[in-house]
Amino acid sequence: MSEFELRLGWLYPTLMSTYGDRGNVICLQQRCQWRGIAVTVVPLDQETDPETFKTVDVVVGGGAQDRQQEIVMRDLQGAKADRLRSQLDAGIPGVFTCGSPQLLGKYYEPGEGQRIEGLGLLDLVTKHPGLNVPRCIGNVVFELTATPLADDLKAMLEEGQKPIAIGFENHGGRTYLGDVQPLGKVIKGYGNNGEDGWEGAFHRNAIATYSHGPLLPKNPLIADWLIQTALRQKYQQAIELTSLDDRLATQARAALLKRLELPTLAEKS
Amino acid sequence: MNGLDRIRLGAAVAIAKTTTAIVKGLKLGAASVLPGSIARRIHPHILPLLFEQVRLGVILIVGTNGKTTTSLLLREILETQGWRVTHNATGANLINGLITALLADTNLIGTLRTDYGILEVDENILPLLLKDCRPRYILALNLFRDQLDRYGEVDTISRRWRKAIAPLPAETVVVVNADDPTLNYLGQNLAQSSGQTVRFFGLSEPKLYLKAIQHAVDSIYCPNCGASLDYQGVYLSHLGDYTCPSCGFAKNQPDLDSNDWGQILIGVYNKYNTLAAGLLAQEIGVGRAEINQAIQSFKAAFGRAEELTVQGKHVRILLSKNPVGMNETIRAVHDIQAQGQSSVSLVILNDRIPDGTDVSWIWDVDMEQLVEQGGTIIVSGDRVFDMALRIEYSPHPEDLNLIVEPDLQQAVDKAIAHTPATETLHILPTYSAMLEVRKLLTGREIL
Repeated sequence: MSEFELRLGWLYPTLMSTYGDRGNVICLQQRCQWRGIAVTVVPLDQETDPETFKTVDVVVGGGAQDRQQEIVMRDLQGAKADRLRSQLDAGIPGVFTCGSPQLLGKYYEPGEGQRIEGLGLLDLVTKHPGLNVPRCIGNVVFELTATPLADDLKAMLEEGQKPIAIGFENHGGRTYLGDVQPLGKVIKGYGNNGEDGWEGAFHRNAIATYSHGPLLPKNPLIADWLIQTALRQKYQQAIELTSLDDRLATQARAALLKRLELPTLAEKS
Repeated sequence: MNGLDRIRLGAAVAIAKTTTAIVKGLKLGAASVLPGSIARRIHPHILPLLFEQVRLGVILIVGTNGKTTTSLLLREILETQGWRVTHNATGANLINGLITALLADTNLIGTLRTDYGILEVDENILPLLLKDCRPRYILALNLFRDQLDRYGEVDTISRRWRKAIAPLPAETVVVVNADDPTLNYLGQNLAQSSGQTVRFFGLSEPKLYLKAIQHAVDSIYCPNCGASLDYQGVYLSHLGDYTCPSCGFAKNQPDLDSNDWGQILIGVYNKYNTLAAGLLAQEIGVGRAEINQAIQSFKAAFGRAEELTVQGKHVRILLSKNPVGMNETIRAVHDIQAQGQSSVSLVILNDRIPDGTDVSWIWDVDMEQLVEQGGTIIVSGDRVFDMALRIEYSPHPEDLNLIVEPDLQQAVDKAIAHTPATETLHILPTYSAMLEVRKLLTGREIL
């Protein structure tokens, strides 16, 4: 597949990579390289020209500590915000974990200090209930339900299998969705707020989720969906990916599902 | 201490000591936490009362990495002076563990007979502890991202530390790592506004600079104004020589010249541990010759660069419990690999409470350093497949022999079998994995 190439935009790599989030970048990069697809990783940060935001084919964003998140939110405004928004509105795929969904939402109210305005791309708000309220921490399993993502993934799976994502969540903030699709339905864990059973959000081809782990290495199907979608958007044609040996990921998934007493959700290896 | 306090303290001590005897007698464990927990119920203020009785003062050691190694070195230095030292040597560093350690050296009516207390303290409980306990010295080693599922974030922790230390009496001595911007800033603040004596240790050896900044880096932003710091060079993680181009904040000149100091064990991280213990000992008044003597005769704490011989093979255990720690142990192994003295490593990843239940941190480790020279890597532990996956995604030569072995005993056997007699087997475990593997290798339990 060496005729293809992708530019992978990485939002604020030094500010927003708290929970092994670069694993998502490594995963996409390697899965492309193993297939001969050339990848250029493009940092999108304070030093980046706003026009560069228009040149990327897929976007990855991770989590930040509160202070770092404030620096990002101050920087990601004006032209940069407009470019990113129009890219994602146009259907560029992306995966945003932890702090990034808060960034894409309407606002974030930290435990201490002032409300921080977000990009407003996703109709969701996040509130931190204060440092004395326990954080949502633990392994998380959810079924992907957002369309068209869920249908695309089902087509990649064996007949009758549900698209299941596995990760780890650790967030103080609670997210509440407005007029936006949830990413999936929680099977184990807290999800957006521990109350309504939803996890994440989905807009056009952008995935927002509290599930790190990091997300993609243990959910290679989602990684491949992102690559495939990025190629389709860029080359305007359906492109079939060559398959890779994912036995270790399958074993890692099976081991965790077994521990969480959900063995029936595991794929056959 | 008033009369009633004395009686209740006596009762608390007596009951706690009985508990220790029972727990140990029945072989229920090493009794490193429970006696403290019981004593605290009987006398809630037991810890400050115990602190007051330490003759020359309590030394608190905080930081993400290096607490145990630094404590042990400091203890050895102080003991060469003939002082009695009480130390929470089992690493039980929460309130009940501290009480238990101090109680162990009291007599039955609650009189503590010790000259110095060296207490390793969990970074999160320092503020709680300082509410009513008065240490004589506080040594802040470093602040890295560690087990965020338990600890929250680096910035929050340093802010809480500052608030907690500021009201302490002026005779308190605070020793901080100048190479860590967050702690240097904390030290500057305390010196200027709170009046405590602050001393700085750090490296002044540009020849040790890393070629590139490692990924597992937390604070490369100015703790004062938030601008990006300019680094002349980095020694490890975010520790280095830096200035802020925006507000002028800069590393303090260390109160010692690291070029004049030897070090314990291997690795740059142990250089920091050496300087930290050395500077604190100097503050106490120990002479350089005696300090140097202790540095030279120092032996590793269990699982921290500890060396063993197993079935005729040389084995070194390097505790690897968080991204910064593991980057540094890998750096040390990498150098030994490059000299052709090690080609087999065993990496064990657990996700129990003492390890942190979130294993995503392994993606912040520069694992390719470990695998880029090929050889054999055996992975094991509760999260064996997560570690295997991490290695699969790290660029490595095609002939890398990756062995995935969930059973730890089998993994250890394979690792020893694969190791040539002329080489060293390196074992890189998380905390609970270190206890397990050590038990398998030595046939003895530690805790």
